[in-house]
Amino acid sequence: MAVRFELTNKRLIICLGTGGVGKTTIAAALALEAALAGRTVDVMTIDPAPRLLDALGVPNRPAEPQEIPLNGVMPLPVGRLRAFRLDPKRMFDRLVHRYAPSPTVRKAILDNRIYQGLSTALAGVADYMAAEQLLDLWRQAGSDLIVVDTPPAHEAINFLDAPRRMVELLSSRALTLLGASRTIGRRLAILDVAARAVIRAFDHLTGLNLLDDVQSFVRIFDGMYEGFAERAGQFEAVVRDPASALLLISSAEPQRVEQTREFASSLSRLGLWPDALLINRMTDPLPSFEQLRSAKLPASLKRKLERNFRDYSALKAREAISVRNLRELAANIPVLLANDLDAEPVSLKDLVYIARSIRSAD
Amino acid sequence: MEPHLSLVTGKGGAGKSTAAAALALALSKRTKTVLVDLDQRASAARLLELEPAPRYEGTTIENLEVRSFTSQDELASFIERIVPIKTIARRLLRSHTFGYVSAALPGLEAFLMLERLRQLAEEAESQGTFVVVDGPASGTAVELLSVPLRLRQLAPFGTLNALARQIEDFLNDPRRFGLWLTARPERFAIHEAFETIDCLVQRRQTGVVAAILNAVPTPLLQANDCASLRSVQGHWQLALKRKAISEMAAHARQQFKRAGIKLIELPMLYTAEFGRTQIEILATAFAELPG
Repeated sequence: MAVRFELTNKRLIICLGTGGVGKTTIAAALALEAALAGRTVDVMTIDPAPRLLDALGVPNRPAEPQEIPLNGVMPLPVGRLRAFRLDPKRMFDRLVHRYAPSPTVRKAILDNRIYQGLSTALAGVADYMAAEQLLDLWRQAGSDLIVVDTPPAHEAINFLDAPRRMVELLSSRALTLLGASRTIGRRLAILDVAARAVIRAFDHLTGLNLLDDVQSFVRIFDGMYEGFAERAGQFEAVVRDPASALLLISSAEPQRVEQTREFASSLSRLGLWPDALLINRMTDPLPSFEQLRSAKLPASLKRKLERNFRDYSALKAREAISVRNLRELAANIPVLLANDLDAEPVSLKDLVYIARSIRSAD
Repeated sequence: MEPHLSLVTGKGGAGKSTAAAALALALSKRTKTVLVDLDQRASAARLLELEPAPRYEGTTIENLEVRSFTSQDELASFIERIVPIKTIARRLLRSHTFGYVSAALPGLEAFLMLERLRQLAEEAESQGTFVVVDGPASGTAVELLSVPLRLRQLAPFGTLNALARQIEDFLNDPRRFGLWLTARPERFAIHEAFETIDCLVQRRQTGVVAAILNAVPTPLLQANDCASLRSVQGHWQLALKRKAISEMAAHARQQFKRAGIKLIELPMLYTAEFGRTQIEILATAFAELPG
């Protein structure tokens, strides 16, 4: 209870974890719980399951942030919950609108084939745009708590590292390589030739004529570089702010333990450490065997219930092994447990149940 | 008859890696099989307690070889191929430009990955062997499979168009390529599996070999079983929970049958350990497939 309170006392909770552990559900549950406790909350999900949006009462593809109606969940007056569903392409277009130095440049960027490919096709862009959206929310200060569900990632750090990587991508050095508009050192000149060679070879192979597009993309983006770099710095500061919490989420399955370990170590390579580890989908404690043994039941039914108990005990033991291993790898941070719902959440009540079940593992 | 290359997909947490490992193990009993991971985690290989060897040089155990391909590796070999001067290629790969080039060429990484899968399938076809890919989650997989079409729209003619067409032909050839869709016996998971199938059908990629229903409980209670005794309430609830999952599995069974989709069921294994021994058991679920 105390730990959960501490968590929702933060201004920002970033939910991290490998695919299939229930990040989105936990993000929504924490946000809802905080809103019901009277806080104004923004929850940003990247690509939520349609079912979760239903649970939150949000239409499938909301164009704008949605206010979630909270009445009916609790009889008491409550805070406010808004849900955002991130659309990377829209966010990117919005940034171009905001930061392009002139309408001509803006149009040139939006029409550029590389930009169009970049803004829709790349997973990295979704991460980056999530970071931009988060920064927007943080600066608007329209809420006391922001809960972020991170995009499905090959690697843990994709989201947290996205702005830095974007800046690297757009950095003067990379720009110079292709735009060739700045002073080129000898070392860079070699790379420049090589980079051109790659694209030329690709063009030759494909008949795409990308080299021109790449060069013009680089040139028109040149003027926007500083804005990107500045915001990357701000994003880093937000993530490291004491009022921000990184919540690493796992489930108690043997395969997830290894993945979570790798996740944690890729975090530490960024110099970050999760504020807590949450083990999701913990099954209920088993009833006592003694109860069954002493009960008067038809023999065949008793045998079945005994067998069922043995089966579930084995699964419980599997869960316990995973929990032990997860606790070992998170020895220095609080470990929280959240209950399994036995089904996907379909209502706000389900989310409240999950949120209320969050407790310390000690 | 299984395709020479099987891509195992499913919603996050459905048990893709488990299914891929079991399928690969089952196929390896018949002939040489390669289990491919598309990320560095190598989850499927790990379940078999194998570590993938460095790229292009797998570890072979009992007809089963595990390999790991990453889009970065594919990009690297692409660059090594087209930049003939080794030192420049190497410097390029170490530089930021590397990331830049891959970022600037939309869909290139996915495209190269599909091209790699096509080559693996071709190799497997000529040798009469199998490839099983522990694929990305269903949403990403659907995206991945649409890359050739998108590239063909981008380049309406020329070499890339021809290459993309080749990949499309491969994806549409049931002898070379097939998708396996993993789901747990949960209502919405089944629903989403059907949504994915619809999505694939719409994109004219109909090659779903079979659905894999993962963690199906062995039935326990019969209709006439009942226990209202308060003393064993908890045990009765636990039995009902199992029954509900069994019923969901039965429902899914009917749905897939009605849709004409072959279904493989992987039983829930009630063991504390979950590793190679368990995958061996699950692999037998694939044994009934025609050889």
